[in-house]
Amino acid sequence: MTRLPLPARALLWLSPVPRDARHDVQTDLLELFLVRRTERGALHAHWRLYHDLASLWSQPRSRLALLRDAGGDLKYAARLFARQPGILLLTIVGLSLGLGIATAAFSIMNVAALRGDGLVDPDRAPGVLRTTDHSTATVWKYDEFLRLREGATRMRVEAVVTDAAPARVGAAEGATAAVNVGFVSGGFFAATGRAMTLGRPLEAADEQHAGPPPVVVSFAFWTSRLNQDAAAVGRTMWIGRTPATIVGVAARGFSVPNSRLLWMPLTAYGTIYGAAPDTRAPDMVVQVFGRLLPGVTVSEAEAQLSGVAAALPRGAAADSALRARLDPRAGLGRASTSDMLTTTVLVFAVIGLVLLLACANVATVLISTAITREREMGVRAALGASRGRIVRQLVTESLALGAVAAGIGLLFAWWGIPIIGTMIEAPAGSDLTPDLNVYVFLGIVTVITGVAAGLAPAWHGRSADLVAPLKGEGASPHRIAPRRLRSALVMAQAAASVILIVTATLFVRATFSAAAIDVGFDAGGLYAVSPGLGDPFDAGRGAAIRDFWARATSELQGAPGLQAVALAELTPFDGLSRTATTSDDPPRVITFNRTHAEYFAAMGLRLLAGRTYSRAEVAAKAPVALVSQSLARAYWQGQSPLGQLVPPQIPMTPLPDMGLNGTRPVVIGVVADAITMRLHDRIAFAVYEPLDPASERFSQLLIRVAPGSTGAINQAGQRLRALDPQADVRITSVADQLQQEAGRPRMLAILSGIVGLIAIVLCVIGLYGLTASVVGQRSREMAVRSALGADVRDLLRLLMWDSLRPVVLGLALGAGAALLAGRVVAAAVFFGVSPQDPIAFAGAAVILLSAAILAVIVPTRRAAAVDAAVVLRRS
Amino acid sequence: MSSHLIMKGDHLGEFEELTLLAIRALGDHTYAVPIQQYVEKATGRPISVGSIYAALARLEEKRFVRSAMSEAEARRGGKSKRVYTVTPSGLRTARELHRVRERIWNAIAEGGRS
Repeated sequence: MTRLPLPARALLWLSPVPRDARHDVQTDLLELFLVRRTERGALHAHWRLYHDLASLWSQPRSRLALLRDAGGDLKYAARLFARQPGILLLTIVGLSLGLGIATAAFSIMNVAALRGDGLVDPDRAPGVLRTTDHSTATVWKYDEFLRLREGATRMRVEAVVTDAAPARVGAAEGATAAVNVGFVSGGFFAATGRAMTLGRPLEAADEQHAGPPPVVVSFAFWTSRLNQDAAAVGRTMWIGRTPATIVGVAARGFSVPNSRLLWMPLTAYGTIYGAAPDTRAPDMVVQVFGRLLPGVTVSEAEAQLSGVAAALPRGAAADSALRARLDPRAGLGRASTSDMLTTTVLVFAVIGLVLLLACANVATVLISTAITREREMGVRAALGASRGRIVRQLVTESLALGAVAAGIGLLFAWWGIPIIGTMIEAPAGSDLTPDLNVYVFLGIVTVITGVAAGLAPAWHGRSADLVAPLKGEGASPHRIAPRRLRSALVMAQAAASVILIVTATLFVRATFSAAAIDVGFDAGGLYAVSPGLGDPFDAGRGAAIRDFWARATSELQGAPGLQAVALAELTPFDGLSRTATTSDDPPRVITFNRTHAEYFAAMGLRLLAGRTYSRAEVAAKAPVALVSQSLARAYWQGQSPLGQLVPPQIPMTPLPDMGLNGTRPVVIGVVADAITMRLHDRIAFAVYEPLDPASERFSQLLIRVAPGSTGAINQAGQRLRALDPQADVRITSVADQLQQEAGRPRMLAILSGIVGLIAIVLCVIGLYGLTASVVGQRSREMAVRSALGADVRDLLRLLMWDSLRPVVLGLALGAGAALLAGRVVAAAVFFGVSPQDPIAFAGAAVILLSAAILAVIVPTRRAAAVDAAVVLRRS
Repeated sequence: MSSHLIMKGDHLGEFEELTLLAIRALGDHTYAVPIQQYVEKATGRPISVGSIYAALARLEEKRFVRSAMSEAEARRGGKSKRVYTVTPSGLRTARELHRVRERIWNAIAEGGRS
């Protein structure tokens, strides 16, 4: 090592050691450091190094004296700020906004990236990969896992099922909230290494449970759903249609794997989803991981486990021996750290930017006070205060401000975190409460911003002539801190707030206009039904679903209050879609759907020409299709498409189970346009084909209820549930889905509105500081003017224009940028609201200008109201 | 009070005295690092290098030591360093201080109260 550690060099650079002596000191420190390291070890050497560095600052003084100084500084600061409550308020608001945003952003990231998911020592809990000479898989067959577990001697081997669909969970049957359940082998909790908050973990004996299966709930679930009830253990909760007994509450923060909220034994999988692992044994796949026994290395455990794997029975198709490969990165911990890194860097960039703005503004305000305090500083210096002592006072002041601001910022973060959590769609039930990391972060950031904001005015006064102010000469204009820079800052903030507010207003208006979009069909009275009978890809389950649909359609056909019932591959706004892009120039996006003949009646889609397909055609998988009006118009310009083949530009990819073999279907009818996917896409090109019987297991049932028959859908639901007690029938209202879809911009409106308001506040703070300092510097000029007969209003007019200029420029700049930005996002989310919407722009301008005028008028009035005689007497 | 006046500029603080004696003990033409090590070893308590610098600066101000830049030395990256030598006046003041102390101690010893 030939150089000091970087932080030490930075500290040295900051220290009061004169520049020409710095290198000498550095070599001395390095020499001492090296000697101490060899004699007493690195820890001692570091400790002494930083001790030495600290000693460069102040010659040994009693700590009591330092504290006494700080107390005096604080008292002085309190008196000073009591005289200028406006400045106090602005500074605290600015700092607390910055700190609050930084803390909120950091806590979200803390949860997402830093806190981890609670797996103890993940390097000792590697994933077990299934490898052959030609392949590597992350999953094993269930019976293979059982043999691995039996044969392993160097590590515990456990398994989880991670791809189970969310189950509906509640205190009673029929709850609606879906929750991710982890199905785990008996030793899972022992292998993850975490203690329980309450009760007991799942154990090996739980794999052979009799009666209701046991369930362990996460701390977050226990908090949000069970109100941290200590008596929750032993209680029964419903998971899907199965009662389960709560046996324990996991440790706080434990959510392995992938944000699970509940854990049940692997063997309960069948009870919940209607397919027992044992009956599906050859097909059921599990993710396997292990926990190395103490003292065992990864390679030892890998060699032993590979021996077990090689002895596993293989089918005839087996190409080579099976091996087990242990990979800590494939374990149950977080998937990829490199993805996290990008997010982390981005988040910190944003945090840094916001803090920088807040700091710059606060510093601007403090500088403006520093100008008026030059006299005070001069007195202090004349009485023998060293420059360091004066700087220390300024820093103490801003640290005190920072501490108050940190408290408010913390409140702000507490309030903001859940909102941000919802906006970024944090997994349900994630524990977003700030933890120690967050408080430490806030503390460090507060100190840094406090010191930085306090050093700015100190820096400003670094070359101050300490005698001139004493003589009563006002602030000399040639020493004005970079005013152009500060004007530019205010201008940039004004521009940013205009963009944000315009966007927010556009979003708000978009919510209203989204509600008015004509989707082309009547969503009221339309319901979609999913059967909840388990995995349609499972052959047995698939057959059960088909059977269920057959009985359901005949049961509901002609039921009172129901107008139409139809199976369809896709139902409106359920989040799924099947689209293709045509080979036209420009390409068009087309949606595909496969339906029963009654679909058009159920949706209420008008038939404009031709006919719909018949039941016989559906049963026979006839190559026929209906197209939407827009599609017909685009490809047959005014001519009848009936009897024509679907044009070759439209790719008709045969699905593996469709049996169409790429045959081009014949158009037999044209129906009205309908928007069924995302509102903002407005894809009006659609091709409808008959739903072939083999695909019925993937489809949902659409029910159209006759107007006025309100109870009909509940009755239909009861009849469906009566058909098969196994079925977990779920009925969703298409109108609700539509409303949810239309409500999406509301979230964005809230977000950009909040950020826009913050930007305005920051802009106002910056503007206030700028104006106050300009006014302070021009007080003499103002006094002369008023002595010569200018009245307060004249002075105001003069000063106002000077201060408002950067805001007006920023307004124009921001408006221009908002126009451009609006055009880009308009298509995506504005639902037909023009990005040139005059109301949005006028609103933003009015809000910003009135805030700016307020920020300017307060210090200006104060300056204009000062007695001219007092100011002039100073010279 | 000793027989002759000690002017303010002549005053030698305890730590300054230790530093000055260390320089002498190290045979003059020495620099901050050995001085720090010597004082630390002699007093048996941790001494920060900052206080050595401060003491050296004060001593130099009072002209009890003088400093010069040394020849470049390979061990310190080929850079020269500031080396200190006790001046005759520094030595005299230290001796004087020592003598004053000795006299007082002797007085204590004669009073039989050591």
